[in-house]
Amino acid sequence: MTSNTGQIVFDPRGIVEATPMRLAPRVASLVGARLGVLDNTKWNANRLLKRTAAKLQDRFAFGAVTFYRKESFSKDADPALIKEIAAANDVVLTAIGD
Amino acid sequence: MAERAVAAPDPTTERVPAGTDLVEWYFEQGWTDGLPVVPPTRAKVDEMVAALGGEPDRVECKIPPRHGSLTREVLAINLVMAGCKTDYAPVVRAALLALTAKAFNLNGVQATTHMAGPLLIVNGPVAQAIGMNGGCNAFGSGNRANATIGRAIRLVLLNVGGAWPGELDKSTLGHPGKYTYCVAENEAHSPWAPYHVEKGFAPEDSTVFVIAAEPPHSVTNHVANDPEGILDSICSAMSTIAHNNAVSSGHCAVVIGPEHARTIAAKGWTRHDVRSYLWMNAYNLFSALTFDHRYGKIYNRNLPKHYKREPGSRIPVVPSADNIHLFVIGGEAGRFSAFIPGWGHMTSPVLRSIEGSGDSEKAPICVDGTCYL
Repeated sequence: MTSNTGQIVFDPRGIVEATPMRLAPRVASLVGARLGVLDNTKWNANRLLKRTAAKLQDRFAFGAVTFYRKESFSKDADPALIKEIAAANDVVLTAIGD
Repeated sequence: MAERAVAAPDPTTERVPAGTDLVEWYFEQGWTDGLPVVPPTRAKVDEMVAALGGEPDRVECKIPPRHGSLTREVLAINLVMAGCKTDYAPVVRAALLALTAKAFNLNGVQATTHMAGPLLIVNGPVAQAIGMNGGCNAFGSGNRANATIGRAIRLVLLNVGGAWPGELDKSTLGHPGKYTYCVAENEAHSPWAPYHVEKGFAPEDSTVFVIAAEPPHSVTNHVANDPEGILDSICSAMSTIAHNNAVSSGHCAVVIGPEHARTIAAKGWTRHDVRSYLWMNAYNLFSALTFDHRYGKIYNRNLPKHYKREPGSRIPVVPSADNIHLFVIGGEAGRFSAFIPGWGHMTSPVLRSIEGSGDSEKAPICVDGTCYL
């Protein structure tokens, strides 16, 4: 809205309606934490995540390690799955692997 | 409009000094596809909104990955910028509604590193009514409707969907169809029923078909006087390990040129015969897809579970004959066809009626006016 005179121009982008969300607070320690591992289903993601989780487990002795799987690597995870992961874990590890 | 302006400033407009070069101004904002746009005027935008049925603030859909709201006014602005005539507006809207159907997974198509972009194929009387080209050079330049309908879709995907290269569009290469990728079926010169009629629509209905697709790959065959010879050439184009269907399955499109179509149909072959022949004879060996395990025993989870994973197994290009979407397109002269690979199992093509030109509820597998294929 620079002025009421001059030439009119149009913004072609449309409005984005989004609810601002805060990042979860960092956990103080990984020792004893419940680790969720989300496989995005790319064919090497599983392998990468399993090995990474195993290495991390040696170092931090998680209280629990639970594996989850997305329906498709190219689609958002089901909101119900995200809710389940959030409720049952303190930290989450995810990756892709082509 | 005046009331709205008083109550709250119109978020879609502002004013720039008289004499501003508007073509350059839109370039400077980053709101073009790289080509000059038609600077919208209030009158042109209002005409376009009227062609969409009025109600400028009505949200038609949201365009991922940015998830911008596509109101009728915002759609109208992009239609004008693309150079569309008002009678193209319902086609573009129908295409965007098809693209934003859940089954299409536009979020993935927009963001993928693969080169796929949406291809739009229009069927029914609307194609002729608005002067679309399904004939000579259909996939090429020179037709306003094809060029600007496809361009309007791309402008919406960029401006509202935020698919700017390197930002939310991560395509390694892209392809030229990401400027415009829009054709009509050449129903007048096809020996078969049009695609949408095959799927249960009436001939007088008009439809949009969208598929996430690689560019067309030409199939040359000037010698065969039978279906098998022509289709073997198409099978040859399909049977490579390089395109995305080979590794990710899903759907693909096959375009039969009118000369080839006449030869095939003259032997009594139906569309289903053609699709079935292609499906049975286009394949890759599992050993080729896995490079004989040269790089380890990779279990390709993109392929259907029921495929036999043994070296001599024939792996189909797509999981069934119905996943090959067949169209007759092209000029009357020339013995050429084309194979158009898709993106993979991550997306499904969508067929949808164009509002006001047929009742999509009559089609066999339709949900909320959208046919999931």
